[in-house]
Amino acid sequence: MSDIPRRVRVTADAGPSRRSGGTTRGIALPGAATRAIALPGAPVDEADAVYSRALRRSQLRLALGTTAGFVVVGATLAAVVALVPELNEIVVLGVPLSWLLHAFAFYPAILVSALLYARAASRNERLYLALRERG
Amino acid sequence: MNAVLDLVAVALIVAATLIIGIYGLRISRTTGDFFVASRTVRPVWNASAISGEYLSAGTFLGLSGMILLGGARGFWFPIGYAAGYLLVLMFIAAPLRRSGAYTIPDFIEARLESTAARRVTSAAVLVIGWLYIVPQLHGAGITLVVVAGLPSWVGAVTVAVLVGVAVAAGGMRAITYMQAFQYWLKLTALLIPVVFIAFAVGGGPHDLDPAIVFPIEAGPSRLDVYETGSLMLALLLGTMGLPHVLVRFYTSPTGVSARRTTVLVIVMVSVFYAVSSTLGLLARMVAPDLAEPGVADTVALVLPSRVFPGLGGELLTALVVAGAFAAFLATSAGLVVSLAGVISQDVFSGSVRSFRGSALLCTAVPLGVALLTAPAGLVSSVGVVFVFAASSLSPVLLLGVWWRRLTARGAIAGMVTGAVSCGLALLVYAAVDGVGIAAPFLAQPAAWTIPLATAVMVAVSLLDRRGAPLRTDRYLARLHAPERV
Repeated sequence: MSDIPRRVRVTADAGPSRRSGGTTRGIALPGAATRAIALPGAPVDEADAVYSRALRRSQLRLALGTTAGFVVVGATLAAVVALVPELNEIVVLGVPLSWLLHAFAFYPAILVSALLYARAASRNERLYLALRERG
Repeated sequence: MNAVLDLVAVALIVAATLIIGIYGLRISRTTGDFFVASRTVRPVWNASAISGEYLSAGTFLGLSGMILLGGARGFWFPIGYAAGYLLVLMFIAAPLRRSGAYTIPDFIEARLESTAARRVTSAAVLVIGWLYIVPQLHGAGITLVVVAGLPSWVGAVTVAVLVGVAVAAGGMRAITYMQAFQYWLKLTALLIPVVFIAFAVGGGPHDLDPAIVFPIEAGPSRLDVYETGSLMLALLLGTMGLPHVLVRFYTSPTGVSARRTTVLVIVMVSVFYAVSSTLGLLARMVAPDLAEPGVADTVALVLPSRVFPGLGGELLTALVVAGAFAAFLATSAGLVVSLAGVISQDVFSGSVRSFRGSALLCTAVPLGVALLTAPAGLVSSVGVVFVFAASSLSPVLLLGVWWRRLTARGAIAGMVTGAVSCGLALLVYAAVDGVGIAAPFLAQPAAWTIPLATAVMVAVSLLDRRGAPLRTDRYLARLHAPERV
């Protein structure tokens, strides 16, 4: 026997890429992903175009979702500080609690939103790269 | 107050800035290429630099003055500035880093393939930048009036000359280290006095009645929903339209690191705003007599010697003065660099010589305006800039990054609509002080000018028979696709 590997027929959907159809965690793909076929003069990688549109949509959804979450939290906090009169009665270190909350409580909400967004956005990008490697 | 000590502090800051500037210049010369040099900048330094540039006189002096004067509604400003960076992070940080554009007009031109759209954007950027430099110069003027009794033009001229000459000399472009140093200086210059004053107030006799110092009428419960909502919209969306914000993303090597840097920026500016807010609360306890328009902005400078008569207070004041000058220098320098880049490319040949000329021009115009106008409240004049930036530039940036059907005509129509409607509203309000029921809509126009500009932009783009540029899809793919490392 020689070391030369036997020639095999390569099929379109081999291995793990079979699983990449449909929706893969966060990135929506249309039913059957378009394969990139390198015909001479053909438009560059249609699959790439599909993947990057999917990435753009999922990043936009993520950003809008995080914005909505932040606005809800911020508005609730503002409403609580404005509408709960008892917070004016509680005095901490000489300052009413309502003033303290208004001065300092919004920043943690901003920071948490930022961290959650940054983590999810990087995850979307890693998924996109993984899809492209396989595609 | 000790005028000599304070002037020495100013001189030290100027000297330190120049020395670090020259040192940074040497680094960028030996590396030969600003963009290569910038990739050696670690995210912490880069984030410090962005924060150092972002924290202007408006926040350093104005914020505590605003809380002293207007009560709890002053807290909305720093919250809006910090949350503005959240929107920058989520909507434009990584895409704009990947666009490779150095300024907002560069991005608009590359995205829409239109020189006309670029010109309109450049005009908006110039107006925003000039409006933003004016309060910095006013702040410098106020500072020298208070600490040394000098006429108010001295501070404005000093800062303008320093910044103009330094930027024209070419030393400012790559000086991440200078801006970074100034963030830490500003934080220290406010944190140390705040800690000392807080201990003094806490340990002193407790004859303060919280109900008088923090009255309910000035507290968070007096919330005007329209006014606050409109202001927050302007502050949140205005940040991304500021000319000096985008430039800084270029010093991040990839989109992912641009996001990491932005998160750090949010941490750093939040810490600063928390300290600044504390100073505002302390000011209400210690110096309620300063709560007058025009005087309130000086409270950060006056407070230390009010609490600690003698040398201790004088030293603390000198520290605050140093921090304040760092704020004027850092923000104005960042703005002048971005504006000079825009002018030299759009009006002149884009050469180094034209950059220098533009830098001088970009300092001279706001200096003229600053000398001709009297300083209003620092925070509110900075607020006006955010409203204008949000109305004119934020729709085009957001749609440019996320909407593929945006066309050059749509972008121009939307930018002009936003800028004109916002400018007219603010001018009419300034002239007649509002008319009855229309007053709040003229004073805080962001809530209707931003949707209006966006609607015009979308409508004109959809009606534009020429359609979006052919290469749009590929360009958008580049904006959102992560770099292969």
